[in-house]
Amino acid sequence: MNACVWCGRRLSGVVTVSQLWRWGPLVKTDVCQDCQTRLTPISSQHCPQCGRQQTDETVCHDCQRWAGQPLVNHALYVYDAAMKAYMQQYKFQGDYALRRVLQEPLRLALARESYDILVPIPVDQATWQQRGFNQVTGWLQTQPFQQALLVQATHKDQPQSAKDRAARLRTQQPFTLALNAADILRDQRVLLLDDVYTTGRTLRHAAEQIYLGGAKAVTSLTLAR
Amino acid sequence: MTNDEAFFGRQLPFQTAPAPDLTATPALKAMGSRLQCQRCGHWLGPQDQLANQAWYCRQCLQLGRLTSQHKLYTIPEPNQLPKLPDGGLTWQGELSAQQQVAAQSVLAHVQSQTNHLLWAVTGAGKTEIVYPALVWALSQGWRVAWTSPRVDVCLELAPRLQAAFANVAQTVLYGDQPQPYQYCPLTICTTHQLLRFQAAFDLIVVDEVDAFPLATSPMLKRAVDHAQKPTGCHLLLTATPGEGLQRRVARKELAVTYVPLRYHGHLLPQIDLQIAWRWREKLRHGHLPVRLIRQLRAYCQAGQRFLLFVPHVADLPLVDRALHLAGITGGVTVHAADEARQEKVQAMRDRRVAFLVTTTILERGVTFPNVAVVILGGDDPVFSTAALVQIAGRVGRSAQFPTGDVTCYCHSYARRVRLARGMIARLNLQGRRQGGRP
Ligand SMILES: [Zn+2]
Ligand SMILES: [Zn+2]
Ligand SMILES: [Zn+2]
Repeated sequence: MNACVWCGRRLSGVVTVSQLWRWGPLVKTDVCQDCQTRLTPISSQHCPQCGRQQTDETVCHDCQRWAGQPLVNHALYVYDAAMKAYMQQYKFQGDYALRRVLQEPLRLALARESYDILVPIPVDQATWQQRGFNQVTGWLQTQPFQQALLVQATHKDQPQSAKDRAARLRTQQPFTLALNAADILRDQRVLLLDDVYTTGRTLRHAAEQIYLGGAKAVTSLTLAR
Repeated sequence: MTNDEAFFGRQLPFQTAPAPDLTATPALKAMGSRLQCQRCGHWLGPQDQLANQAWYCRQCLQLGRLTSQHKLYTIPEPNQLPKLPDGGLTWQGELSAQQQVAAQSVLAHVQSQTNHLLWAVTGAGKTEIVYPALVWALSQGWRVAWTSPRVDVCLELAPRLQAAFANVAQTVLYGDQPQPYQYCPLTICTTHQLLRFQAAFDLIVVDEVDAFPLATSPMLKRAVDHAQKPTGCHLLLTATPGEGLQRRVARKELAVTYVPLRYHGHLLPQIDLQIAWRWREKLRHGHLPVRLIRQLRAYCQAGQRFLLFVPHVADLPLVDRALHLAGITGGVTVHAADEARQEKVQAMRDRRVAFLVTTTILERGVTFPNVAVVILGGDDPVFSTAALVQIAGRVGRSAQFPTGDVTCYCHSYARRVRLARGMIARLNLQGRRQGGRP
């Protein structure tokens, strides 16, 4: 494969000086230079609670309105037109190969997080059947993770994006704990992993269950905010 | 529409059979050790697999993902179509003598079911030239597709054909179009949409066959062949055939009808070449070639409206600023992703602006009466030979103003510019033989 997995153009295969300088093993990339810069990384100026890109580092309006227990989320990229186009092709058209675009950035981001157990947000059975993959675990390579959460079917029948904010916030708890979850989670620091942080409702539902399972701390990481 | 009709000559994917008695083939077929998509012909790579172990085709993803769990269902085309005595034609117009000669030739090739190229210069009225052949085909109860790689061509064509053939049921198919599919004698669609058909059409008219992306896409070429019945034929329409098509014509593999004259009987304007040494470096420093400035100033003073083509969107602000500095004002810039594109083009039509500075988006379709055309950087690779001939064809479209200037500024005499001038010269040679006026 010497074509960019996203845009399909041929990869030049040129080794840059900085790659040689680092003297590490050459990372085989599937993504061209243009596509690597298509997404907008979130800078250090973001909301300390939800990770949203903004012009300062104060708690954002949405997080201030949130009454319940706070959940600290980190996010990699701004949920802009390019990220929406990526998600459209990856999640909704089901182009599983596009997982490779974000595997490497996610690997680097996970290395910066401190946690004991990684728990990806699951997809329900119907989605799994139809999509053929879980978009979140697709981004993981060799990182160990625990499928500690189960999700009731019909949860994502109506896509989150089709609901307004109020409807999303009203959503009932969709998650339950897997059978062995309590053994795995007890006194652990858990990192939840999801694709997009929109209202944070899904992640808070998940965090609630993880705490019930005995975890001592829960934080989350999303690819987009 | 009965349920069966939805499957006539189509290939529709389902994971479970939608009805009994349908012919089905696996969507991805094992050929030796590899899988081939039966819709688009793509050979799957070793990594094109989902987490649930199913394989999927990445190439035709936009039409809905095909996996190894799908089958394609079809009913062989039965031609359950009316045989309209007059082909359903309601068009009242008349063909010129020259158009009639070409129309007869096209008709003869369609009647003998042979593939054919109609090479008609821009402004020849190629759509109308096809009408007699279309009338005949529809009167035989043939199923016909009129397709173009470009959705804007389809959208412009559909109402024209609807008006000209008011008694013929038509269905229009393109990417995100709202109407549901209907089984009709005449299907107007983007070439992508032909991937949903299998041995359906007796005649496929391929409009703007040289346009992107058909010219460079084996998938779309296959789509035309695949949607055509084994007994069927296709008619290719273009003003500017690519080198591949020209070679097939030269080798007599493909029959051709030339229409070297525009409908008003005048020759194509030749491209006047002006060498502008290192124009790009100069533009970077905010300067335009002196001769170009002089020419555009003269146009402005004479009230001559013009189109100035530049290679890239990024060149537009630079050129705009340089024109301003030179005191050439009253125009606007426009490009493909410009949100005000339609309004700006309309403003030019309404004579509210004196000129447009644009990229290659206006090379086809858009016509303004009495404009001059200037190309800055015609040697840039974005200007293919076809694009240059199409751009030159923006001049002299109306019978009232059948002539005009086309000037091309280049750093060097690039091959594509030479080929474009050669193509115009050859067409004009033939045009002169048919009595064309300069
Ligand atoms: Zn790329
Ligand atoms: Zn926040
Ligand atoms: Zn395919």
